[in-house]
Amino acid sequence: MRKVLFYVPLVLFLGLSLFLLSGLFSDPRERDAVMVGKPLPAFSLPDLMNPAQTWTPDALKGQPFLLNVWGVWCPTCNAELGYMTQLRNEQGVRIIGLYYVLPEDPMFGQVFNLPVLQAEVATKLQQFGDPYQFNILDQQRRLSLDLGVSGAPEHFIVDAEGIVRAHHIGDINPQVWRTKLAAVYQQFAGGSQP
Amino acid sequence: MIPELGQLALTFALAFSIILGIVPLLGSFTANERALLVAKPLASAMFVFTLIAFCALSWAFYHDDFTVLNVANNSSSLLPWYFKLTAVWGSHEGSMLMWVMILALWTAAVGFYSKGLPLLMQGRILGVMGLINIGFIAFSLFMSNPFERTLPFFPVEGSDLNPLLQDYGMIIHPPLLYMGYVGFAVSFAFAIAALIGGKFDSTWARWARPWTLAAWLFLTLGIMLGSWWAYKELGWGGWWFWDPVENASFMPWLVGTALIHSLAVTEKRGTFKSWTVLLALGAFSLSLLGAFLVRSGVLVSVHSFAADPERGVFLLIFLLIVIGGSLLLYASRMHSVRSQARYEIFSREVMLWGNNVFLLTATLVVLLGTLFPLVHKELGLGSISIGEPFFNQMFYYLNIPFALLLGLGPWVRWKQQKAAPLLKPMALVAVFSLVVALGTMAATQSITANLALLGLLLGAWVGVSALMEVYQRLQQFGSLSQGVAKLQASHYGMTIAHIGFAVMIVGIAMTLTYSEERDVRMEIGDRVVLAGYEFELQDVYKLNGPNYGGEAAELDVRRIDGTYVTHLHAEKREYTIQRMMMTEAAIHARLSRDLYVSLGEALPGNAWAIRVYVKPFVRWIWLGGLLMSLGALIALLDKRYRRKSPNAEAAHA
Repeated sequence: MRKVLFYVPLVLFLGLSLFLLSGLFSDPRERDAVMVGKPLPAFSLPDLMNPAQTWTPDALKGQPFLLNVWGVWCPTCNAELGYMTQLRNEQGVRIIGLYYVLPEDPMFGQVFNLPVLQAEVATKLQQFGDPYQFNILDQQRRLSLDLGVSGAPEHFIVDAEGIVRAHHIGDINPQVWRTKLAAVYQQFAGGSQP
Repeated sequence: MIPELGQLALTFALAFSIILGIVPLLGSFTANERALLVAKPLASAMFVFTLIAFCALSWAFYHDDFTVLNVANNSSSLLPWYFKLTAVWGSHEGSMLMWVMILALWTAAVGFYSKGLPLLMQGRILGVMGLINIGFIAFSLFMSNPFERTLPFFPVEGSDLNPLLQDYGMIIHPPLLYMGYVGFAVSFAFAIAALIGGKFDSTWARWARPWTLAAWLFLTLGIMLGSWWAYKELGWGGWWFWDPVENASFMPWLVGTALIHSLAVTEKRGTFKSWTVLLALGAFSLSLLGAFLVRSGVLVSVHSFAADPERGVFLLIFLLIVIGGSLLLYASRMHSVRSQARYEIFSREVMLWGNNVFLLTATLVVLLGTLFPLVHKELGLGSISIGEPFFNQMFYYLNIPFALLLGLGPWVRWKQQKAAPLLKPMALVAVFSLVVALGTMAATQSITANLALLGLLLGAWVGVSALMEVYQRLQQFGSLSQGVAKLQASHYGMTIAHIGFAVMIVGIAMTLTYSEERDVRMEIGDRVVLAGYEFELQDVYKLNGPNYGGEAAELDVRRIDGTYVTHLHAEKREYTIQRMMMTEAAIHARLSRDLYVSLGEALPGNAWAIRVYVKPFVRWIWLGGLLMSLGALIALLDKRYRRKSPNAEAAHA
């Protein structure tokens, strides 16, 4: 028994090195999509352009869609608007925006001003293209937090039942769409798209 | 030409390390004296050639030789000469070469100072060091060659040194840290040599002690300097971030601290043998693990070098051989070793056992906190992160019993201690520390804060106890003046190091409790009041550095009553080649508090975002670290480590 005890450090070390080995071949910055396979978290948020309209998970159901977390303050988000518009026009992808409002700092004279924001958004969409069916305004960033968003842009593919099927961190470009997202989207869209 | 000479020198060093790793070790089994005698000159030769290689790389950096890839990637002709030289260890390749050079330096030093060792032991220790050297020199030469050329198409200008590293801290922080990391290789080699020989008398512990102390001294200084550098350079007033790489340096430090104490038991009492050997293996193993974590890219950290799985695989195999091999040897040899000495439950032995338990628990906390995210993810359970709150809370709980024990430990005798004689002095210590703690709280007019009071109490307990213990010890020599001369240097060292720990606890508790900070928008002429100080922004103007531009802010600081305190100069630099922003915080340091200002973004309307901190007692954290290092230095100078052992003389005769 006493003899076995002295092998404990060795066994522990060998166990640890297994993890180190597998850790070598995976990217520590990569996040597993914890949302995948789960329904959208509950929310009730206004429409960005028409605040009288309120969106809930149930209101989005019926057809799969691509949920795009973005903001005019994010250059990459603006840059991908063109390709997403193309996706919408050519492949009929339903794209819904989740508008991420940056925290404002009253000390520096920043206050939330919806008309100004709407004007900024309209300008950007005019300039780069408008892929959105509509935009949900996440002013308190509660929904983004629940979804595990770590930055913008991020994308979720949500099926007709409101279940998240894919999570992509970063922009969408032709390659990302082809290799990572198109198959998932088409699977849940019933393969009817060309 | 010079870089090629460097590479050639490194190749020679590899050859020497291979001979060193084979010949004396084999000689030690056949009792071949000639084979054992070559160890020392081989160690020196290996060091000389790694030094040549290191100088060759430094030469390339100094002369802006952009035909060398490493120089082109990490230096520029605009850098001042001293940063060109520090850029040598600013990259993975260069720092690896420095690591190799320092490892060879320790090896040569062991050879140089090993006159007191029996020849057999000397040959085995140097042989083991040689084996470790083989791995690192080969890694440097084959996996991360610092001398790689960019020919035939070389750039006319380099891409500059990362601006974070263009700081005076960079000149000595990495060398000190590496001296510490690599220094534990010596304790490791001593342990392996003892394992091979199967002899665990107190002599090996006495030989290993000064080397362990030396490595620990460098590591402590290195970590302290890194903490101070982060505080000053990152611009948000933090001094420890629980970053994976900081943790990687903290783990060998904790185990090294445990090892120093455990070695004392093994030397003086001949017990804790298997435990001490395991700690000696553990300290260096954790250094290696740290090197792996930093250089393989398995963890996300501000310190990481560019990741390359091939390098990671090489290092992991090396880790398996060195750590796995040594633990296997440990398991197969150590189980038959039994300690003879007896001791009671209340004795110095048990006190030091307690020290080890707490230090090892702390190591385990850090190890788990650092690696758990990796394990969690590899098990397919998703990404998580473990941050400051976890570590802070765990260390908060661990520190209370640890400090209480530390105050009591030095009073307790070896073998057995009756409780009664200690009651009076410990009660005195308790009363004094209460007075000191409450007195300080009263002087700073703040009685409410729990953490600060706890920190002061624990700090005073440890500090007062250490002072009274040494006073009582001195009196035992008859008169005080006789005692001062007669008390062993290592005892003074212990006392100073323990006081250093007390100072650090106080610093941490006070800084955590009483720091104040504010982010403000300031125009020129604006004032902001924080913790009784009034900061006035006087001017902001453009900067023109050799390789950076940016802005500088000038502030005056006054007390509320209007007395002038100081003038502060904060900079926000933009490094032109790397296009990186750096804050150079303005700091006015006093023992009781730091005033800290960092300049942020320009805001609309001719204003700037400015961050102001007042951090009480923050200097005490580093002062405590310095005192601990000083303690180690004094203990290192103890005469008995330089006495020849009788059997060594016999071996030479």
